[in-house]
Amino acid sequence: MKIALINGSPKPDNSASGCILEELKAYIESENMMISNYNFRKPQLNAEEIEKLTEEDVLIFAFPLYVDGIPSHLLYCLTQLEEAFIAVNKKDILVYTLVNCGFYEGHQNRLAIEMMENWCVKTGLKWGQGVGIGAGGMLQSLKNVPAGSGPKKNLGEVIRQLSDNIKNCGTGENTFVTPNFPRFAYKLAAEMGWRTSIKANGLRRKDLFLKK
Amino acid sequence: MRLLIHDLENEEFQRIFPNPLDETMIISNSDSIHNCIGCFGCWVKTPAACLIRDEYGDMGEHMSKCNELIIISKCCYGGYSPFIKNVVDRSIPYVHPYFVIESGEMHHRRRYKNHIDLKVCFYGENITEKEKETAEKLVKANSINLHCSVSNISFKHCISEMEGLIL
Repeated sequence: MKIALINGSPKPDNSASGCILEELKAYIESENMMISNYNFRKPQLNAEEIEKLTEEDVLIFAFPLYVDGIPSHLLYCLTQLEEAFIAVNKKDILVYTLVNCGFYEGHQNRLAIEMMENWCVKTGLKWGQGVGIGAGGMLQSLKNVPAGSGPKKNLGEVIRQLSDNIKNCGTGENTFVTPNFPRFAYKLAAEMGWRTSIKANGLRRKDLFLKK
Repeated sequence: MRLLIHDLENEEFQRIFPNPLDETMIISNSDSIHNCIGCFGCWVKTPAACLIRDEYGDMGEHMSKCNELIIISKCCYGGYSPFIKNVVDRSIPYVHPYFVIESGEMHHRRRYKNHIDLKVCFYGENITEKEKETAEKLVKANSINLHCSVSNISFKHCISEMEGLIL
């Protein structure tokens, strides 16, 4: 089975989407899986990438939530792919999607997942399953915490279930996951992070509140 | 001030709005927009302004000075067209990085106090019922995250249906 792992984050490295795909990859890797990695960082795909993608059996997208939806650079790529998939008329490619957001609640990714389902209908591809992940901002710092333990307990379980579906070419209900970490603590940690960042840039804490 | 963001070609826009629009700032596609790269510079390096200094770098400021936001967008998969989404993504300096809890959900805190009335007009020949449902939910979700009130969401089959549209 040919599987495409598509990282839709614009960040060249250290993205939460990259962490999520790494964890998923560990569950699905086996001899009969041919896994290819793609990074959609720019608003345009080249002809070679498009051709290669039309030959995959499974597309797995992971991307960050941008203002309740799909980041624009990825949306440009999806419109390009829509044309390409309609032209080759392949209807048996399965699509799975993992969306992460900075908000605590995983269900805030639901509309981006719906848009990916709508994209599947337009392109003629088959929808597999969507996973919405909350507190994505925390994932990079938890990279060394084993999947399925500590704050990643829920996430590990959801990724394991998703990987079973992928291996069986199955479909599943969209799932939303929040970390095993209290919301108030996540909020405080995030705010402390912004204060540290702005000071590291030579500005003052109160500059976070600047207006134009 | 009124802020109008649209993805129409110039000729189409002129046909729909032949007369100059009073007190309206118009944001259109000049094919020079850069995508948001998720750097958070608009929160921690140049607060309230995007680090990318193309002609869309001050969307947060424009939003802070408007009381009415009108979006005209092709409907793509139940969301905005890539250009409109690009402008929306570049508008996050309008909000503050800190979080607040509203109606049991986490959202970004306000940076500005202005009140924005949001109107969205989606167009497209083959908008499905499912896409309409998604689009309606999207505009409502945007209004919570961008602290606006939705006053109208409409769907048109084609651009010419918008002719005579009174803003």
